Amino acid sequence: MSDLFDLPFEEEPEPEPAPSEAATSPGRVDGLGLSKVEGRRILSVTELTVRVRDHLEERFFEVWVEGELSGVKIWNTGHLYFTLKDSSSVLKGLMFRSALRYLKFKPVDGLHVVARGKISVYEPKGEYQIVCEHLEPQGLGGLQLAFEQLKKRLQAEGLFDAAKKRPLPLLPRKIGVVTSLDGAAVRDILKVLRRRYRNVHVVIRPTKVQGDGAAAEIAHALRQIVKVPHVDVVIVGRGGGSLEDLWAFNEEPVARAISISPIPVISAVGHESDVTIADLAADVRAPTPSAAAELVVARKDDVGNRIDRLHERLVSCAHARVQRLSRRVHELSGRRALAGYTTRLAMTQRRADELTRTLADALRTAFAARSRRLQTIERRLDAFDLGRRLARNRTALVAVDGKLRQTATARTHRARAQFGRLAGRLESLSPLAVLARGYAVCWNDERTKAIRDAADVATGDTIHVTLSRGAIAAKVSGIE
Amino acid sequence: MSEPSIKDFEAAIAELESIVKKLEDGDLSLEQSLALYERGVTLSKFCHARLEDAERRIELLSERGELRPAPAGLAGDDPTR
Repeated sequence: MSDLFDLPFEEEPEPEPAPSEAATSPGRVDGLGLSKVEGRRILSVTELTVRVRDHLEERFFEVWVEGELSGVKIWNTGHLYFTLKDSSSVLKGLMFRSALRYLKFKPVDGLHVVARGKISVYEPKGEYQIVCEHLEPQGLGGLQLAFEQLKKRLQAEGLFDAAKKRPLPLLPRKIGVVTSLDGAAVRDILKVLRRRYRNVHVVIRPTKVQGDGAAAEIAHALRQIVKVPHVDVVIVGRGGGSLEDLWAFNEEPVARAISISPIPVISAVGHESDVTIADLAADVRAPTPSAAAELVVARKDDVGNRIDRLHERLVSCAHARVQRLSRRVHELSGRRALAGYTTRLAMTQRRADELTRTLADALRTAFAARSRRLQTIERRLDAFDLGRRLARNRTALVAVDGKLRQTATARTHRARAQFGRLAGRLESLSPLAVLARGYAVCWNDERTKAIRDAADVATGDTIHVTLSRGAIAAKVSGIE
Repeated sequence: MSEPSIKDFEAAIAELESIVKKLEDGDLSLEQSLALYERGVTLSKFCHARLEDAERRIELLSERGELRPAPAGLAGDDPTR
Protein backbone atom coordinates (compact mmCIF):
# COMPACT_ATOMS: atom_id res chain seq x y z
CA MET A 1 0.00 0.00 0.00
CA SER A 2 1.16 3.45 0.70
CA ASP A 3 4.36 2.44 2.48
CA LEU A 4 5.68 1.62 -0.96
CA PHE A 5 4.62 4.98 -2.18
CA ASP A 6 6.35 6.67 0.71
CA LEU A 7 9.73 5.33 -0.28
CA PRO A 8 11.41 7.98 -2.34
CA PHE A 9 12.77 6.70 -5.59
CA GLU A 10 16.04 8.67 -5.32
CA GLU A 11 17.03 7.32 -1.96
CA GLU A 12 16.91 3.83 -3.21
CA PRO A 13 20.25 2.37 -2.07
CA GLU A 14 19.94 -0.10 -4.82
CA PRO A 15 23.22 -1.78 -5.63
CA GLU A 16 21.49 -4.41 -7.62
CA PRO A 17 22.07 -4.60 -11.33
CA ALA A 18 20.84 -7.26 -13.66
CA PRO A 19 22.54 -10.52 -12.71
CA SER A 20 24.49 -10.60 -15.94
CA GLU A 21 25.95 -7.21 -15.30
CA ALA A 22 26.81 -7.83 -11.70
CA ALA A 23 29.72 -9.89 -12.81
CA THR A 24 31.02 -7.41 -15.30
CA SER A 25 30.79 -4.31 -13.15
CA PRO A 26 32.60 -4.66 -9.92
CA GLY A 27 33.07 -0.90 -9.52
CA ARG A 28 30.75 1.88 -8.41
CA VAL A 29 27.35 1.36 -9.56
CA ASP A 30 24.54 3.85 -9.68
CA GLY A 31 20.95 3.13 -9.03
CA LEU A 32 20.30 1.80 -12.47
CA GLY A 33 23.21 -0.56 -12.53
CA LEU A 34 25.34 1.50 -14.84
CA SER A 35 29.02 1.50 -14.35
CA LYS A 36 30.48 4.94 -14.86
CA VAL A 37 34.09 4.21 -14.50
CA GLU A 38 35.12 0.78 -15.39
CA GLY A 39 34.49 -1.15 -18.52
CA ARG A 40 32.38 1.41 -20.23
CA ARG A 41 29.23 -0.51 -20.92
CA ILE A 42 27.12 0.93 -23.64
CA LEU A 43 23.43 0.10 -23.67
CA SER A 44 21.02 0.34 -26.46
CA VAL A 45 18.01 2.58 -25.88
CA THR A 46 15.84 -0.44 -25.65
CA GLU A 47 18.05 -2.12 -23.12
CA LEU A 48 17.99 0.96 -20.97
CA THR A 49 14.32 1.42 -21.33
CA VAL A 50 13.65 -2.17 -20.38
CA ARG A 51 15.77 -1.75 -17.30
CA VAL A 52 13.99 1.41 -16.33
CA ARG A 53 10.68 -0.31 -16.85
CA ASP A 54 11.58 -3.37 -14.82
CA HIS A 55 12.85 -1.19 -12.07
CA LEU A 56 9.80 1.01 -11.91
CA GLU A 57 7.40 -1.89 -12.11
CA GLU A 58 9.09 -3.58 -9.25
CA ARG A 59 9.33 -0.49 -7.11
CA PHE A 60 5.87 0.86 -7.77
CA PHE A 61 3.98 -2.35 -7.98
CA GLU A 62 0.98 -0.95 -6.21
CA VAL A 63 0.60 2.79 -5.64
CA TRP A 64 -2.27 5.08 -4.87
CA VAL A 65 -2.17 8.45 -6.46
CA GLU A 66 -4.60 11.31 -6.31
CA GLY A 67 -5.21 13.92 -8.99
CA GLU A 68 -7.55 15.44 -11.50
CA LEU A 69 -8.51 13.55 -14.62
CA SER A 70 -7.93 15.19 -17.96
CA GLY A 71 -7.65 14.08 -21.57
CA VAL A 72 -9.92 11.15 -20.83
CA LYS A 73 -10.41 8.99 -23.86
CA ILE A 74 -11.64 5.48 -24.46
CA TRP A 75 -10.11 3.94 -27.55
CA ASN A 76 -11.97 1.55 -29.74
CA THR A 77 -9.99 -1.24 -28.13
CA GLY A 78 -12.02 -0.42 -25.04
CA HIS A 79 -9.04 0.76 -23.02
CA LEU A 80 -9.12 4.05 -21.20
CA TYR A 81 -6.35 6.66 -21.56
CA PHE A 82 -6.05 9.71 -19.38
CA THR A 83 -3.72 12.14 -17.68
CA LEU A 84 -3.72 12.66 -13.97
CA LYS A 85 -2.51 16.04 -12.83
CA ASP A 86 -2.15 18.34 -9.91
CA SER A 87 -0.95 21.94 -9.76
CA SER A 88 2.57 21.23 -10.95
CA SER A 89 2.89 17.72 -12.38
CA VAL A 90 1.21 15.34 -14.75
CA LEU A 91 1.10 11.57 -14.89
CA LYS A 92 -0.02 9.59 -17.92
CA GLY A 93 -2.45 6.82 -17.15
CA LEU A 94 -4.05 3.83 -18.76
CA MET A 95 -6.80 1.49 -17.68
CA PHE A 96 -7.48 -1.75 -19.50
CA ARG A 97 -10.94 -2.66 -20.58
CA SER A 98 -10.96 -5.64 -18.22
CA ALA A 99 -10.55 -3.31 -15.24
CA LEU A 100 -12.74 -0.57 -16.64
CA ARG A 101 -15.68 -2.94 -16.71
CA TYR A 102 -15.99 -2.84 -12.94
CA LEU A 103 -16.30 0.91 -12.69
CA LYS A 104 -19.84 1.99 -11.82
CA PHE A 105 -19.23 5.58 -12.84
CA LYS A 106 -17.88 6.98 -16.03
CA PRO A 107 -14.47 8.73 -15.79
CA VAL A 108 -14.71 12.22 -17.22
CA ASP A 109 -12.38 15.22 -17.48
CA GLY A 110 -12.13 17.36 -14.39
CA LEU A 111 -13.06 14.60 -12.01
CA HIS A 112 -10.93 14.38 -8.90
CA VAL A 113 -9.92 10.75 -8.42
CA VAL A 114 -7.70 8.37 -6.55
CA ALA A 115 -6.08 5.85 -8.86
CA ARG A 116 -4.64 2.55 -7.77
CA GLY A 117 -2.18 0.72 -10.00
CA LYS A 118 1.45 0.14 -10.92
CA ILE A 119 3.89 2.35 -12.69
CA SER A 120 5.17 1.14 -16.02
CA VAL A 121 6.91 2.45 -19.08
CA TYR A 122 5.62 2.79 -22.56
CA GLU A 123 8.76 1.96 -24.47
CA PRO A 124 7.98 3.39 -27.92
CA LYS A 125 7.65 6.82 -26.34
CA GLY A 126 9.89 6.50 -23.36
CA GLU A 127 7.06 7.58 -21.13
CA TYR A 128 6.25 6.25 -17.76
CA GLN A 129 2.62 5.91 -16.82
CA ILE A 130 0.31 4.41 -14.28
CA VAL A 131 -1.50 1.27 -15.31
CA CYS A 132 -4.64 1.69 -13.33
CA GLU A 133 -6.47 -1.16 -11.62
CA HIS A 134 -9.14 0.94 -10.02
CA LEU A 135 -10.39 4.48 -10.01
CA GLU A 136 -12.43 6.05 -7.30
CA PRO A 137 -13.88 9.51 -7.31
CA GLN A 138 -12.85 11.72 -4.42
CA GLY A 139 -15.58 13.38 -2.41
CA LEU A 140 -18.64 11.57 -3.76
CA GLY A 141 -18.56 7.82 -3.49
CA GLY A 142 -18.29 5.94 -6.73
CA LEU A 143 -21.88 4.74 -6.57
CA GLN A 144 -23.10 8.23 -5.85
CA LEU A 145 -21.25 9.54 -8.84
CA ALA A 146 -22.53 6.74 -11.02
CA PHE A 147 -26.04 7.61 -9.90
CA GLU A 148 -25.60 11.27 -10.75
CA GLN A 149 -24.15 10.46 -14.12
CA LEU A 150 -26.85 8.01 -15.15
CA LYS A 151 -29.53 10.32 -13.87
CA LYS A 152 -28.17 13.17 -15.93
CA ARG A 153 -27.95 11.06 -19.05
CA LEU A 154 -31.42 9.55 -18.83
CA GLN A 155 -32.86 12.92 -17.94
CA ALA A 156 -31.36 14.40 -21.07
CA GLU A 157 -32.93 11.56 -23.01
CA GLY A 158 -36.33 12.47 -21.60
CA LEU A 159 -36.85 9.25 -19.68
CA PHE A 160 -38.10 11.07 -16.61
CA ASP A 161 -40.29 13.62 -18.39
CA ALA A 162 -43.46 14.48 -16.57
CA ALA A 163 -45.31 14.21 -19.87
CA LYS A 164 -44.38 10.54 -20.00
CA LYS A 165 -46.05 9.77 -16.69
CA ARG A 166 -49.29 7.89 -17.11
CA PRO A 167 -52.19 7.93 -14.69
CA LEU A 168 -52.86 4.75 -12.75
CA PRO A 169 -55.82 2.71 -13.98
CA LEU A 170 -59.04 3.26 -12.08
CA LEU A 171 -59.59 -0.41 -11.60
CA PRO A 172 -56.69 -2.71 -12.48
CA ARG A 173 -57.98 -6.12 -13.45
CA LYS A 174 -54.73 -7.67 -12.25
CA ILE A 175 -51.91 -6.08 -10.30
CA GLY A 176 -48.38 -7.13 -11.22
CA VAL A 177 -45.66 -7.24 -8.59
CA VAL A 178 -41.96 -7.60 -9.37
CA THR A 179 -39.91 -8.21 -6.26
CA SER A 180 -38.14 -10.85 -4.22
CA LEU A 181 -40.18 -13.51 -2.45
CA ASP A 182 -37.71 -13.44 0.43
CA GLY A 183 -38.00 -9.81 1.41
CA ALA A 184 -40.60 -8.05 3.50
CA ALA A 185 -41.80 -6.10 0.50
CA VAL A 186 -43.97 -8.84 -1.00
CA ARG A 187 -45.66 -9.54 2.34
CA ASP A 188 -46.24 -5.86 2.98
CA ILE A 189 -47.85 -5.42 -0.39
CA LEU A 190 -50.09 -8.47 -0.06
CA LYS A 191 -51.10 -7.54 3.47
CA VAL A 192 -52.25 -4.08 2.43
CA LEU A 193 -54.06 -5.40 -0.60
CA ARG A 194 -55.82 -8.04 1.48
CA ARG A 195 -56.91 -5.57 4.10
CA ARG A 196 -58.20 -3.04 1.61
CA TYR A 197 -59.70 -5.23 -1.06
CA ARG A 198 -60.46 -8.85 -0.71
CA ASN A 199 -61.15 -9.60 -4.36
CA VAL A 200 -57.90 -8.39 -5.77
CA HIS A 201 -56.00 -10.41 -8.35
CA VAL A 202 -52.22 -10.26 -8.01
CA VAL A 203 -49.53 -11.72 -10.25
CA ILE A 204 -46.10 -11.85 -8.66
CA ARG A 205 -42.93 -12.26 -10.68
CA PRO A 206 -40.26 -13.27 -8.18
CA THR A 207 -36.81 -11.85 -8.88
CA LYS A 208 -33.48 -11.22 -7.32
CA VAL A 209 -33.35 -7.62 -6.06
CA GLN A 210 -29.70 -7.26 -5.11
CA GLY A 211 -26.29 -8.56 -6.01
CA ASP A 212 -24.73 -9.44 -9.31
CA GLY A 213 -27.14 -9.61 -12.21
CA ALA A 214 -30.07 -8.30 -10.17
CA ALA A 215 -30.66 -5.35 -12.48
CA ALA A 216 -30.82 -7.54 -15.56
CA GLU A 217 -33.18 -9.92 -13.79
CA ILE A 218 -35.51 -7.16 -12.65
CA ALA A 219 -35.55 -5.69 -16.13
CA HIS A 220 -36.36 -9.08 -17.62
CA ALA A 221 -39.10 -9.70 -15.06
CA LEU A 222 -40.65 -6.34 -15.87
CA ARG A 223 -40.65 -6.95 -19.58
CA GLN A 224 -42.27 -10.32 -18.93
CA ILE A 225 -45.00 -9.33 -16.49
CA VAL A 226 -46.35 -6.45 -18.54
CA LYS A 227 -47.27 -9.00 -21.18
CA VAL A 228 -49.51 -11.05 -18.90
CA PRO A 229 -53.09 -10.45 -20.06
CA HIS A 230 -55.12 -8.09 -17.86
CA VAL A 231 -52.17 -6.94 -15.78
CA ASP A 232 -52.99 -3.23 -15.85
CA VAL A 233 -50.37 -1.89 -13.47
CA VAL A 234 -47.06 -3.10 -12.02
CA ILE A 235 -45.39 -2.49 -8.68
CA VAL A 236 -41.63 -2.97 -8.80
CA GLY A 237 -39.51 -2.67 -5.70
CA ARG A 238 -37.96 -3.99 -2.53
CA GLY A 239 -37.59 -3.09 1.09
CA GLY A 240 -35.06 -0.61 2.38
CA GLY A 241 -31.32 -1.22 2.52
CA SER A 242 -27.95 0.34 1.99
CA LEU A 243 -27.10 2.18 -1.19
CA GLU A 244 -25.32 -0.96 -2.38
CA ASP A 245 -28.36 -3.11 -1.61
CA LEU A 246 -30.62 -0.84 -3.62
CA TRP A 247 -28.13 -0.50 -6.39
CA ALA A 248 -29.93 -2.62 -8.96
CA PHE A 249 -32.69 -0.02 -8.99
CA ASN A 250 -30.14 2.59 -9.99
CA GLU A 251 -29.04 0.72 -13.07
CA GLU A 252 -29.89 1.52 -16.60
CA PRO A 253 -31.58 -1.76 -17.64
CA VAL A 254 -34.23 -1.35 -14.93
CA ALA A 255 -34.88 2.27 -15.89
CA ARG A 256 -35.20 1.25 -19.53
CA ALA A 257 -37.56 -1.63 -18.79
CA ILE A 258 -39.77 0.72 -16.77
CA SER A 259 -39.73 3.35 -19.44
CA ILE A 260 -40.81 1.01 -22.25
CA SER A 261 -43.55 -0.65 -20.20
CA PRO A 262 -46.90 -0.36 -21.98
CA ILE A 263 -48.69 -0.12 -18.63
CA PRO A 264 -48.10 2.23 -15.70
CA VAL A 265 -45.34 1.24 -13.28
CA ILE A 266 -45.23 2.12 -9.59
CA SER A 267 -41.76 2.04 -8.10
CA ALA A 268 -41.44 1.18 -4.44
CA VAL A 269 -37.84 1.00 -3.38
CA GLY A 270 -36.60 1.14 0.18
CA HIS A 271 -37.57 3.81 2.58
CA GLU A 272 -38.62 7.33 2.00
CA SER A 273 -35.24 8.97 1.77
CA ASP A 274 -33.83 6.84 -1.02
CA VAL A 275 -34.74 8.06 -4.47
CA THR A 276 -33.56 5.70 -7.15
CA ILE A 277 -33.27 5.95 -10.91
CA ALA A 278 -36.17 3.47 -11.04
CA ASP A 279 -38.24 5.93 -8.98
CA LEU A 280 -37.49 8.66 -11.47
CA ALA A 281 -38.38 6.51 -14.45
CA ALA A 282 -41.58 5.12 -12.95
CA ASP A 283 -44.99 6.62 -13.63
CA VAL A 284 -45.64 6.88 -9.92
CA ARG A 285 -43.15 6.69 -7.08
CA ALA A 286 -44.28 5.15 -3.84
CA PRO A 287 -41.97 5.65 -0.87
CA THR A 288 -42.43 2.05 0.29
CA PRO A 289 -43.95 -1.18 -0.99
CA SER A 290 -46.89 -0.80 1.40
CA ALA A 291 -47.52 2.68 0.09
CA ALA A 292 -47.51 1.34 -3.45
CA ALA A 293 -50.19 -1.19 -2.51
CA GLU A 294 -52.27 1.55 -0.94
CA LEU A 295 -51.97 3.68 -4.03
CA VAL A 296 -53.37 0.87 -6.13
CA VAL A 297 -56.33 0.00 -3.96
CA ALA A 298 -57.09 3.50 -2.78
CA ARG A 299 -58.11 4.09 -6.33
CA LYS A 300 -60.51 1.19 -6.13
CA ASP A 301 -62.17 2.60 -3.00
CA ASP A 302 -62.50 5.97 -4.64
CA VAL A 303 -64.03 4.47 -7.69
CA GLY A 304 -66.61 2.52 -5.71
CA ASN A 305 -67.73 5.69 -3.96
CA ARG A 306 -67.76 7.58 -7.18
CA ILE A 307 -70.02 5.04 -8.84
CA ASP A 308 -72.37 5.04 -5.87
CA ARG A 309 -72.67 8.82 -5.98
CA LEU A 310 -73.25 8.81 -9.71
CA HIS A 311 -75.94 6.22 -9.31
CA GLU A 312 -77.70 8.27 -6.66
CA ARG A 313 -77.61 11.33 -8.83
CA LEU A 314 -78.94 9.36 -11.75
CA VAL A 315 -81.89 8.03 -9.79
CA SER A 316 -82.72 11.36 -8.22
CA CYS A 317 -82.67 13.00 -11.65
CA ALA A 318 -85.14 10.47 -12.92
CA HIS A 319 -87.38 10.91 -9.87
CA ALA A 320 -87.42 14.65 -10.24
CA ARG A 321 -88.26 14.33 -13.88
CA VAL A 322 -91.15 11.95 -13.27
CA GLN A 323 -92.56 14.19 -10.57
CA ARG A 324 -92.38 17.24 -12.76
CA LEU A 325 -94.12 15.39 -15.55
CA SER A 326 -96.93 14.01 -13.44
CA ARG A 327 -97.58 17.45 -11.97
CA ARG A 328 -97.82 18.86 -15.44
CA VAL A 329 -100.23 16.16 -16.54
CA HIS A 330 -102.48 17.05 -13.63
CA GLU A 331 -102.37 20.69 -14.47
CA LEU A 332 -103.14 20.11 -18.10
CA SER A 333 -106.00 17.72 -17.57
CA GLY A 334 -107.64 20.27 -15.27
CA ARG A 335 -107.69 22.89 -17.97
CA ARG A 336 -110.32 23.48 -20.63
CA ALA A 337 -107.60 24.39 -23.00
CA LEU A 338 -106.85 20.74 -23.21
CA ALA A 339 -109.94 20.08 -25.30
CA GLY A 340 -108.92 22.76 -27.77
CA TYR A 341 -105.55 21.32 -27.80
CA THR A 342 -106.86 17.90 -28.75
CA THR A 343 -108.77 19.40 -31.64
CA ARG A 344 -105.78 21.33 -32.80
CA LEU A 345 -103.79 18.19 -32.61
CA ALA A 346 -106.33 16.32 -34.75
CA MET A 347 -106.31 19.13 -37.31
CA THR A 348 -102.61 19.11 -37.43
CA GLN A 349 -102.67 15.40 -37.91
CA ARG A 350 -105.05 15.75 -40.81
CA ARG A 351 -103.01 18.47 -42.38
CA ALA A 352 -100.00 16.25 -42.07
CA ASP A 353 -101.87 13.40 -43.74
CA GLU A 354 -102.87 15.67 -46.59
CA LEU A 355 -99.42 16.93 -47.07
CA THR A 356 -98.15 13.41 -47.13
CA ARG A 357 -100.66 12.47 -49.77
CA THR A 358 -99.86 15.53 -51.86
CA LEU A 359 -96.27 14.76 -51.63
CA ALA A 360 -96.85 11.16 -52.63
CA ASP A 361 -98.91 12.27 -55.60
CA ALA A 362 -96.31 14.74 -56.68
CA LEU A 363 -93.73 12.07 -56.45
CA ARG A 364 -95.83 9.65 -58.41
CA THR A 365 -96.48 12.25 -61.14
CA ALA A 366 -92.89 13.19 -61.35
CA PHE A 367 -92.05 9.58 -61.57
CA ALA A 368 -94.61 8.87 -64.28
CA ALA A 369 -93.42 11.85 -66.33
CA ARG A 370 -89.95 10.60 -66.10
CA SER A 371 -90.85 7.11 -67.06
CA ARG A 372 -92.80 8.44 -70.05
CA ARG A 373 -89.84 10.45 -71.13
CA LEU A 374 -87.75 7.41 -70.78
CA GLN A 375 -90.09 5.44 -73.00
CA THR A 376 -90.00 8.17 -75.61
CA ILE A 377 -86.29 8.17 -75.56
CA GLU A 378 -86.29 4.43 -75.87
CA ARG A 379 -88.59 4.55 -78.78
CA ARG A 380 -86.47 7.15 -80.45
CA LEU A 381 -83.46 5.05 -79.85
CA ASP A 382 -85.18 2.08 -81.49
CA ALA A 383 -86.23 4.22 -84.41
CA PHE A 384 -82.80 5.60 -84.75
CA ASP A 385 -81.33 2.34 -85.90
CA LEU A 386 -84.14 1.51 -88.26
CA GLY A 387 -84.19 5.02 -89.62
CA ARG A 388 -80.54 4.88 -90.38
CA ARG A 389 -80.95 1.69 -92.28
CA LEU A 390 -83.90 2.98 -94.26
CA ALA A 391 -82.74 6.52 -94.65
CA ARG A 392 -82.52 6.45 -98.37
CA ASN A 393 -85.85 4.68 -98.81
CA ARG A 394 -87.44 7.15 -96.55
CA THR A 395 -86.17 10.07 -98.56
CA ALA A 396 -87.62 8.55 -101.66
CA LEU A 397 -90.81 7.82 -99.89
CA VAL A 398 -91.11 11.36 -98.68
CA ALA A 399 -90.61 12.63 -102.19
CA VAL A 400 -93.28 10.36 -103.57
CA ASP A 401 -95.55 11.17 -100.75
CA GLY A 402 -95.09 14.86 -101.42
CA LYS A 403 -96.04 14.44 -105.00
CA LEU A 404 -99.00 12.31 -104.20
CA ARG A 405 -100.16 14.83 -101.79
CA GLN A 406 -99.86 17.63 -104.31
CA THR A 407 -101.82 15.72 -106.94
CA ALA A 408 -104.48 14.74 -104.47
CA THR A 409 -104.86 18.28 -103.31
CA ALA A 410 -105.25 19.61 -106.82
CA ARG A 411 -107.85 17.01 -107.60
CA THR A 412 -109.73 17.72 -104.52
CA HIS A 413 -109.85 21.38 -105.36
CA ARG A 414 -111.20 20.68 -108.78
CA ALA A 415 -113.79 18.23 -107.47
CA ARG A 416 -114.88 20.71 -104.88
CA ALA A 417 -115.43 23.45 -107.44
CA GLN A 418 -117.39 21.10 -109.66
CA PHE A 419 -119.45 19.99 -106.72
CA GLY A 420 -120.32 23.59 -105.94
CA ARG A 421 -121.60 24.19 -109.41
CA LEU A 422 -123.63 20.97 -109.48
CA ALA A 423 -125.11 21.80 -106.11
CA GLY A 424 -126.32 25.16 -107.46
CA ARG A 425 -128.05 23.46 -110.32
CA LEU A 426 -129.56 20.85 -108.11
CA GLU A 427 -130.95 23.57 -105.99
CA SER A 428 -132.87 25.07 -108.87
CA LEU A 429 -134.28 21.67 -109.79
CA SER A 430 -135.56 20.91 -106.34
CA PRO A 431 -139.35 20.46 -106.12
CA LEU A 432 -139.12 22.22 -102.83
CA ALA A 433 -138.39 25.38 -104.70
CA VAL A 434 -141.62 24.89 -106.70
CA LEU A 435 -143.63 24.26 -103.57
CA ALA A 436 -142.43 27.55 -102.20
CA ARG A 437 -144.30 29.18 -105.01
CA GLY A 438 -147.67 27.68 -103.82
CA TYR A 439 -147.62 24.29 -105.43
CA ALA A 440 -148.29 21.12 -103.50
CA VAL A 441 -147.47 17.49 -104.05
CA CYS A 442 -150.01 14.77 -103.43
CA TRP A 443 -148.90 11.34 -102.36
CA ASN A 444 -150.81 8.08 -102.13
CA ASP A 445 -151.54 6.75 -98.70
CA GLU A 446 -148.31 4.79 -98.65
CA ARG A 447 -146.33 7.83 -99.79
CA THR A 448 -144.71 5.73 -102.45
CA LYS A 449 -146.02 7.61 -105.47
CA ALA A 450 -146.85 11.16 -106.30
CA ILE A 451 -150.42 11.34 -107.65
CA ARG A 452 -150.35 12.75 -111.12
CA ASP A 453 -153.75 11.45 -112.40
CA ALA A 454 -157.16 11.85 -110.65
CA ALA A 455 -158.02 8.42 -111.91
CA ASP A 456 -155.42 6.99 -109.61
CA VAL A 457 -157.53 7.73 -106.55
CA ALA A 458 -161.05 6.81 -105.48
CA THR A 459 -163.46 8.57 -103.21
CA GLY A 460 -162.64 7.84 -99.57
CA ASP A 461 -158.89 7.29 -100.21
CA THR A 462 -156.52 8.95 -97.88
CA ILE A 463 -153.93 11.06 -99.59
CA HIS A 464 -151.06 13.16 -98.26
CA VAL A 465 -150.28 16.62 -99.42
CA THR A 466 -146.86 18.04 -99.06
CA LEU A 467 -146.73 21.78 -98.85
CA SER A 468 -143.84 24.16 -98.87
CA ARG A 469 -144.04 24.10 -95.09
CA GLY A 470 -145.53 21.00 -93.51
CA ALA A 471 -147.85 18.34 -94.87
CA ILE A 472 -151.54 17.48 -94.69
CA ALA A 473 -153.44 14.20 -94.64
CA ALA A 474 -156.72 14.44 -96.60
CA LYS A 475 -159.63 12.29 -97.64
CA VAL A 476 -160.80 12.25 -101.25
CA SER A 477 -164.40 13.44 -101.11
CA GLY A 478 -165.06 13.15 -104.81
CA ILE A 479 -163.41 12.85 -108.21
CA GLU A 480 -163.93 15.83 -110.44
CA MET B 1 -68.20 -7.80 -19.82
CA SER B 2 -71.90 -8.55 -19.82
CA GLU B 3 -72.64 -5.51 -21.95
CA PRO B 4 -70.92 -5.64 -25.32
CA SER B 5 -71.35 -1.95 -26.01
CA ILE B 6 -69.40 -1.01 -22.89
CA LYS B 7 -65.76 -0.91 -23.84
CA ASP B 8 -64.13 -0.92 -20.46
CA PHE B 9 -64.50 0.19 -16.93
CA GLU B 10 -63.01 3.64 -17.30
CA ALA B 11 -65.03 4.39 -20.41
CA ALA B 12 -68.16 3.25 -18.56
CA ILE B 13 -67.52 5.62 -15.67
CA ALA B 14 -66.81 8.50 -18.00
CA GLU B 15 -70.03 7.85 -19.89
CA LEU B 16 -72.02 7.51 -16.70
CA GLU B 17 -70.69 10.84 -15.53
CA SER B 18 -71.64 12.59 -18.73
CA ILE B 19 -75.13 11.06 -18.63
CA VAL B 20 -75.77 12.24 -15.09
CA LYS B 21 -74.57 15.68 -16.06
CA LYS B 22 -76.87 15.84 -19.08
CA LEU B 23 -79.83 14.69 -17.02
CA GLU B 24 -79.11 17.24 -14.33
CA ASP B 25 -78.83 20.02 -16.87
CA GLY B 26 -82.36 19.16 -18.06
CA ASP B 27 -83.66 20.47 -21.37
CA LEU B 28 -84.18 17.00 -22.72
CA SER B 29 -87.28 15.44 -24.16
CA LEU B 30 -88.92 12.76 -22.11
CA GLU B 31 -87.81 10.10 -24.56
CA GLN B 32 -84.22 11.28 -24.40
CA SER B 33 -84.22 11.38 -20.63
CA LEU B 34 -85.65 7.91 -20.39
CA ALA B 35 -83.11 6.52 -22.84
CA LEU B 36 -80.29 8.18 -20.93
CA TYR B 37 -81.61 6.97 -17.63
CA GLU B 38 -81.79 3.43 -18.88
CA ARG B 39 -78.27 3.61 -20.24
CA GLY B 40 -77.08 5.11 -16.98
CA VAL B 41 -78.55 2.29 -14.95
CA THR B 42 -76.90 -0.27 -17.22
CA LEU B 43 -73.54 1.45 -16.85
CA SER B 44 -73.79 1.74 -13.13
CA LYS B 45 -74.66 -1.93 -12.82
CA PHE B 46 -71.76 -2.84 -15.06
CA CYS B 47 -69.34 -0.81 -12.94
CA HIS B 48 -70.58 -2.33 -9.72
CA ALA B 49 -70.28 -5.78 -11.17
CA ARG B 50 -66.75 -5.08 -12.32
CA LEU B 51 -65.80 -3.85 -8.86
CA GLU B 52 -66.99 -7.02 -7.23
CA ASP B 53 -66.58 -9.69 -9.86
CA ALA B 54 -62.88 -10.46 -9.46
CA GLU B 55 -62.03 -13.07 -6.89
CA ARG B 56 -59.01 -12.77 -4.68
CA ARG B 57 -56.16 -14.57 -6.38
CA ILE B 58 -52.44 -14.52 -5.91
CA GLU B 59 -50.39 -16.08 -8.68
CA LEU B 60 -46.71 -16.51 -9.35
CA LEU B 61 -45.24 -15.91 -12.78
CA SER B 62 -42.25 -18.14 -13.49
CA GLU B 63 -39.23 -17.19 -15.54
CA ARG B 64 -40.65 -19.30 -18.34
CA GLY B 65 -43.84 -17.26 -18.27
CA GLU B 66 -46.02 -19.83 -16.51
CA LEU B 67 -48.62 -18.84 -13.96
CA ARG B 68 -49.35 -20.92 -10.89
CA PRO B 69 -51.11 -20.18 -7.60
CA ALA B 70 -48.89 -18.72 -4.90
CA PRO B 71 -48.23 -20.88 -1.83
CA ALA B 72 -50.78 -20.34 0.92
CA GLY B 73 -48.21 -18.89 3.31
CA LEU B 74 -47.37 -16.12 0.91
CA ALA B 75 -50.95 -15.24 0.10
CA GLY B 76 -51.23 -13.89 3.61
CA ASP B 77 -53.01 -16.42 5.75
CA ASP B 78 -50.96 -15.11 8.61
CA PRO B 79 -52.76 -13.05 11.22
CA THR B 80 -54.38 -10.01 9.68
CA ARG B 81 -54.73 -6.73 11.34
